[in-house]
Amino acid sequence: MILSIAWKNIWRNKLRSFIVISATAVGVAAGTYSASLMFGVATQKINAAISNEVSHIQIHHPAFKENYEIKYTLPEAEKMITDIEKLPGVKSVSSRTIITGMILSAASSAGIKVNGINPEIEKKTTTLFTKIADTNGAYFGEGLRNPVVISQKLADKLNVRLKSKIVLRFQSADGSLVEGAFKVCGIYRTSNGMFDEVNIFVRQSDLIVLLGVLPIHEIAILLQNNENVNEFVTSLRKKYPSSDVMDWEELFPELGMLTAMLTAMNYMLLGIILAALAFGIVNTMLMIVLERTRELGMLMAVGMNKSRLFKMIMLESILLSLCGGMAGIIISSFLIVLLCILNSGQDSL
Amino acid sequence: MEIIQLKDLYKIYDEGAVAVNAVNGISLTISEGEFTAIVGPSGSGKTTLLNLIGGLDRPTSGEVFINGTEITKLKSKELIDFRLNNIGFVFQSYNLIPVLTAHENVEFIMQLQNKPLAERHKRTIDLLESVGLGDKKDIRPRHLSGGQQQRVAVARALASKPRFILADEPTANLDSRATTNLLDIMERLNHEEKITFLFSTHDQRVVNKAHRVITIEDGKVLSDIYQEVLVHGKH
Repeated sequence: MILSIAWKNIWRNKLRSFIVISATAVGVAAGTYSASLMFGVATQKINAAISNEVSHIQIHHPAFKENYEIKYTLPEAEKMITDIEKLPGVKSVSSRTIITGMILSAASSAGIKVNGINPEIEKKTTTLFTKIADTNGAYFGEGLRNPVVISQKLADKLNVRLKSKIVLRFQSADGSLVEGAFKVCGIYRTSNGMFDEVNIFVRQSDLIVLLGVLPIHEIAILLQNNENVNEFVTSLRKKYPSSDVMDWEELFPELGMLTAMLTAMNYMLLGIILAALAFGIVNTMLMIVLERTRELGMLMAVGMNKSRLFKMIMLESILLSLCGGMAGIIISSFLIVLLCILNSGQDSL
Repeated sequence: MEIIQLKDLYKIYDEGAVAVNAVNGISLTISEGEFTAIVGPSGSGKTTLLNLIGGLDRPTSGEVFINGTEITKLKSKELIDFRLNNIGFVFQSYNLIPVLTAHENVEFIMQLQNKPLAERHKRTIDLLESVGLGDKKDIRPRHLSGGQQQRVAVARALASKPRFILADEPTANLDSRATTNLLDIMERLNHEEKITFLFSTHDQRVVNKAHRVITIEDGKVLSDIYQEVLVHGKH
């Protein structure tokens, strides 16, 4: 009965209730929409980093990440890859040869990280090949000898174009200086400028010619989904205790910070919105109570105790807030779906 | 049997330099089944006295016994429960809950008493029929006339099966026909169901129906007359 009275009381002054509900709805819609947007941005960044750069898990020699020295290889890489590929939940595994060195063009030079890959396997592990525009060549197409994929940023810096000749220079495992001539076969562009600036990609088969052997420094693992990463990391650490098994959060701590920062901002934003709404609702309820002093007094006179009276007023506030909150969630859901539709339309363009 | 007993009751409002003795040493008893009117000019202390009897206000000094319970010593929460189960109220301006129908207004009191649904429903129908509003049970107060609203208020006051009903100027806002109708209902309830009624009133029509008339002025009892005794010469 108290719930029924509270509900009916809300509709005594329809205009006022409509204003409170609308204000709550707009606040909740704005809050949830912006929170979803931030969450979407963070998720997109994480997914982009996982699919373009780091994959879910990487395995290295424990000392490799300190200086990226060529000597710190994974000695049983082939066996490890074969074993990991058999694990359920693994989508793709690729091995990488990573060497720091110099890239030289006729116009300029730069320090870079050479990623020696098997393009066909790498295509299954990273989506970098999708970051090459149609007019910017191909991801290791046929016909070019010693092809290299570089970023647009690096191409601008070196003043090179497609099919331009560049020279890669680096130290081999025995300390001798090695260099080779390569031709730009594709120019990529990701949203991460720092990644673009230092990473170039060559075929592992071309590196064997220069180095004589093929050192494997990195095994990148892409899983079927993001949820099982921790379980995989734990089991891989047990299985390969002498190797360094890292998940994407350890490999890319900036992403973890970004997620934490966006989450904190979300809470702050929602807190501010909810506090403003709470003040509005309390103000309205105060007006309602002051308006109905006589009636509330009568209810106490006929035997309604204070706790029931308080419950009735609180229920009125809660029902008002629920109406506004639900309307807000419906509005924000509609806006988010609309945004998704518009966004997918743009993507398809 | 004495249902209300007032002993040396005072209510003093301290308004700055001036202290107002709204109730100034009243002692009286009301027995079960009485149909009593408290009369007096405006500001004489009628409503204050009724509020003290109903436990809506606390006396400055003195004692109020209802059915042998000294309500002046009850805590606030106990007093609310006591009122719910022992006293029915009828107010001058009806004071029905506007968002509830006549049926719901009456039933509401029994819900506060946690009575079972079937009992609530039956009693509500019976009460509304007894005040002649069986056909108006699903109508909200604003669609009822003043007289009809006051009859719903009487039904509501009776809902908790109280021993007596306090009515503060119940006919003040009613026309002559509605007043007669209401008084007839109250008189019947008093006669048939032995419900004790205590009114504060200015209305001569109420006074004429009352068995006992207590006149107060300046917070004191000026006269206390049993009309039937007076009429029949049995004083």
